Amino acid sequence: MPDRGIKTELRAIGAEFVKTMRIWFSYPIMLVFWAVFPLLWVLPYIFQGRALVGSGTSEAFRQLTGSGNYLAFVLIGAMISTFVFSALWGVGNSLREETYWGTMEYIIASPTHPLVILIGKTLAEWTWSTVMVLFQALIIALFFGVQFTLAKILPVLLLVILLMIGFYGFAIAFAGFTLLIKEVHGWVHTLEWIFFLFSPIRYPVQVNPITAAVSTLIPLTWALIAIRGIILLNRTEVNLYQTVLVLTLMDIVLLTAGYFLFIYLERKTRRDGTVGMH
Amino acid sequence: MNRLRIWWSKLRHYAGAVWAENIKEWKLELTYKADFARGLIDPVVYLLPYLLYGVALVGGRSSENLQRLVGTSDIITFITLGYVFIGFLNMALWAMGFSLRKEQFYGTLESVFAAPVPRWVFTMGMSLHSILHQLLMIAVQIVFILAVFSIRINPLGLLPTLLVIALMLVALYGIGMFMASFTLIFKQGWLVSEALSSILMILTPIAYPLAVLPAFMQQAALFVPTTYGILTARHFLMGEKISFTLNDALLRLALLSLLWVAFGLLVFALIERQTRRAGTLSHY
Repeated sequence: MPDRGIKTELRAIGAEFVKTMRIWFSYPIMLVFWAVFPLLWVLPYIFQGRALVGSGTSEAFRQLTGSGNYLAFVLIGAMISTFVFSALWGVGNSLREETYWGTMEYIIASPTHPLVILIGKTLAEWTWSTVMVLFQALIIALFFGVQFTLAKILPVLLLVILLMIGFYGFAIAFAGFTLLIKEVHGWVHTLEWIFFLFSPIRYPVQVNPITAAVSTLIPLTWALIAIRGIILLNRTEVNLYQTVLVLTLMDIVLLTAGYFLFIYLERKTRRDGTVGMH
Repeated sequence: MNRLRIWWSKLRHYAGAVWAENIKEWKLELTYKADFARGLIDPVVYLLPYLLYGVALVGGRSSENLQRLVGTSDIITFITLGYVFIGFLNMALWAMGFSLRKEQFYGTLESVFAAPVPRWVFTMGMSLHSILHQLLMIAVQIVFILAVFSIRINPLGLLPTLLVIALMLVALYGIGMFMASFTLIFKQGWLVSEALSSILMILTPIAYPLAVLPAFMQQAALFVPTTYGILTARHFLMGEKISFTLNDALLRLALLSLLWVAFGLLVFALIERQTRRAGTLSHY
């Protein structure tokens, strides 16, 4: 990456942040959509629960998770996964979108490194998803009776930040992958569903030994188990140190791997001359 | 006689265009081979969280409450059969609804609109490709589930089920046209598809019977073609109790097909005219 001075790079990050925000605000309906729909997506799970157990709590669920309240379980999963999926789409898929808009070549030809552009996009994505999750938390607190006190919010916030640092590393690597294989829309969907399958977003992964084992490799699993422990079981101290340690280690690995993978894939695409290809 | 010949020639012309569109989509799809292979595995990955969630709730594969509600307790077969239909719903909402936006991305939307065939022919080509693709995905899904979970179905129920699916597809084509027209106005068509798909996913009794929905949702579900598809299929294949006969289901589906196709074509024609007048066809 050429050394152009920190101020210049920060200006580029700021400009990318403003550009991404402007594009979003060109479609104001998206604000409403992302605030409301992730919660609507859990409704089928709530109705499924009613059909299969006939009430709002399940004894089998309690044995697996410590709480029989499956409704709160899926709602918290939906809220936290909004961060993860917005990173996957907003950062991981962002360079592919630039290709569609016809602006990818300009990014590659400009003196700013694409990684700097991705940092701008990541910050915009973080701001955007935080606003969405705040909306969702408000809806959950008002209509579903899940309580968020300050004592609960601070450790949850710490866990979310740790979760997202590593995840943005992953998303940046994925953005590099999009430069290479181009058509990634479907791959993002598959990744989404792999997260749904191998992390406890919508169901307790402990129900199956394979999903339980694979899920330990995904930071989202550690974060969700600790966050649910704090919110649903009022266990602010439970395994928090262990979870923080695991997430920090995962962050280091994911950020480092994400950085080097992106640099490698970007160079390879430039060398092969396939940047402008669809 | 002359008029009949013109009509016949036009029909062949349209059929040729539908087939060409279908082939074009297959060629595009097979250009990205890894993506194509991934698409075949997707339906299995989609289904598993719903099955495992069910198992986590009841602590096994049998639910007493489901037995009380619909007369069958096997949650694995119940949910799997429901999810097979989601592919068809996605086909209408995504493959067809998003088709025009895709052409816009490719830079070929203006060429499609200038071609000497009506736009419904173009979307029908998209729909044919999606149906064939969907059948392939369902086959993979069913093979996997049969291998892992041993679902139990009544083979005699396959014929009426296929009949219902055929009618349901006509109605879904109408919904697809409706969705495609919205892409012309909103441009970010995925948002409209995602919104409608989310609502229909809630209304359609995929992993639960209609009885657990609030009353207003139960009423709304009766206007969704997949409701009849799923309920009738599960009735014939696994004995789910339903409140209507096969004749009723076919009659209602035929009516819904007529209504959705007429509605979809009408809305599409109106919006297309409006977009052309406003000159916003090529806007992003």
